[in-house]
Amino acid sequence: MTDLTAIDQTIELVRYLAERPVDRARTGQTPHAIIHRQNKACVRYFHPRGGAKHAPLFVSMPLINTWTVFDLMPGRSVIEKLVAAGVPVYLLDWGRPGVEDQPVTMVENIDGILMRALDRSRRHARAHLGTDVFDVLGYCVGGTFLSIAMARHDGAARRMALLAAPIDFHKSGRLSTWAQPDSFPLDDIIDGFGNFPKELMRSSFAWLRPMGQLTKYKGLAERIDDDGFRELWAAMEQWNGDNVDFPGETYREYVRRCYFDNALMRTDGDWELGGRRVDLSQGTIPVQVFAAGGDHIAAPAACRGIADVWGGPVQTMVVKGGHVGVCIGNSFPKALLAWIEQGGAPTASTGAVAEAK
Amino acid sequence: MADTASDTAAGMPDFSKLSNDMYQQWEQAMTAWWDQVLDSPDFLKATGQNLSQVAHARKQYEQAVDEGLHKMHLPTRQDLVRVARIATLLEERLLQMEDRLLAMGDQLDVLEKETIQARVEAAEARLEMREKLAELQARLDAGEATAAPATATATPRRRSTAKKPARSSKTE
Repeated sequence: MTDLTAIDQTIELVRYLAERPVDRARTGQTPHAIIHRQNKACVRYFHPRGGAKHAPLFVSMPLINTWTVFDLMPGRSVIEKLVAAGVPVYLLDWGRPGVEDQPVTMVENIDGILMRALDRSRRHARAHLGTDVFDVLGYCVGGTFLSIAMARHDGAARRMALLAAPIDFHKSGRLSTWAQPDSFPLDDIIDGFGNFPKELMRSSFAWLRPMGQLTKYKGLAERIDDDGFRELWAAMEQWNGDNVDFPGETYREYVRRCYFDNALMRTDGDWELGGRRVDLSQGTIPVQVFAAGGDHIAAPAACRGIADVWGGPVQTMVVKGGHVGVCIGNSFPKALLAWIEQGGAPTASTGAVAEAK
Repeated sequence: MADTASDTAAGMPDFSKLSNDMYQQWEQAMTAWWDQVLDSPDFLKATGQNLSQVAHARKQYEQAVDEGLHKMHLPTRQDLVRVARIATLLEERLLQMEDRLLAMGDQLDVLEKETIQARVEAAEARLEMREKLAELQARLDAGEATAAPATATATPRRRSTAKKPARSSKTE
């Protein structure tokens, strides 16, 4: 709380918003290089400061927003903290799908884009860091897709971490209440719009907590004289408003199978991708689940679901924050770094180079 | 703030605190109301129907625009989407070829390293063999040297002829 009166706060708030701070906010500032591109997706490589002290980390970001939530601003960046700790980071940015990406299917995204991105990251790490032993991290939908990929390609990574990634979709709160086959016109939306429109995505998330739209301005007014908070607020607002279209056919299959059927929780289901059954019990690598305590999009119960179906050991940890706030707080980066440190120093390649030895 | 404090001290109500409390009560009430509305099956069904109608309208609009463009002999949105999709599929084909090339490169790396390893092992075996031969030669020389004083006086010519083949085998 500040020493300003309510009237002063309101005047300051209006003055601040008139400066259009959201448009001027700069996100994704950590230096990096793009090492691979496919369609709209790309792999961004963040070189570790002071050399690699840990195994490389491949990060699968969500498809519904931009990747910059992991690199929002200096001091509030998961990537920045990882790079400073000596972790080479390979981040899969799914890009901004266009109308032409409506026919792109889930199997194309998982076996095509995601697994190829991991392969190219591995080759890059082998050539530049002398290791291709990878840990992987998936956030939100990116985590759901990653877990499917790791079950289909068991052993493609050493360990997997999931952040706010729903698996037991029927426990994911209000979203699962909304995504019911008798009330959510999935086919009509995809047939009519092509992709799931970003505007609809944005308003859906806003309607999950209608009062949140008001309280965010109230929160800003109360801390309007805090420069750091104002900067963070503007960056968050920019990211929140920067949704991307979800490729139509991928969305159709994702919602039908995950939300309608809760198919990831079934090990005897009939869901096939590219002729192969989706079965999380096929995955055996160790999994660390990070669930956000205040998550209203992927509730902790939905994230913990993987423990019931995954074929390998699963550990869960609830970290402080909401679905998005978890990325800008200190709780998750600290927990993630502790998990990374458990993996030890980077080891030599296990691929073609190691086989030859 | 100081004014408010003095007002409170004088028996006046703290309007700042009062308005804050009122706002919080209103917020809680509104949240509870919205929760009821947003989880209500009737509301969800109505919203779904509304969405469905909007999607149908959008589809009809797109079709009408496409028909108009088609009549004017201009590429439609569908045409452009198809071309862009072809480009995406071509990229996928190229990437599949790149995958194969990289896999072949990996196999070649393995083969090359295996070949080098085999050659190193063969060279090591030859060196080992040479060392063994040298050792045998040394032992033979030593044996001949000890036997030489005994036979030197008896058969001096035979000794010199016997050593020649051994020397030639050493150089081989």
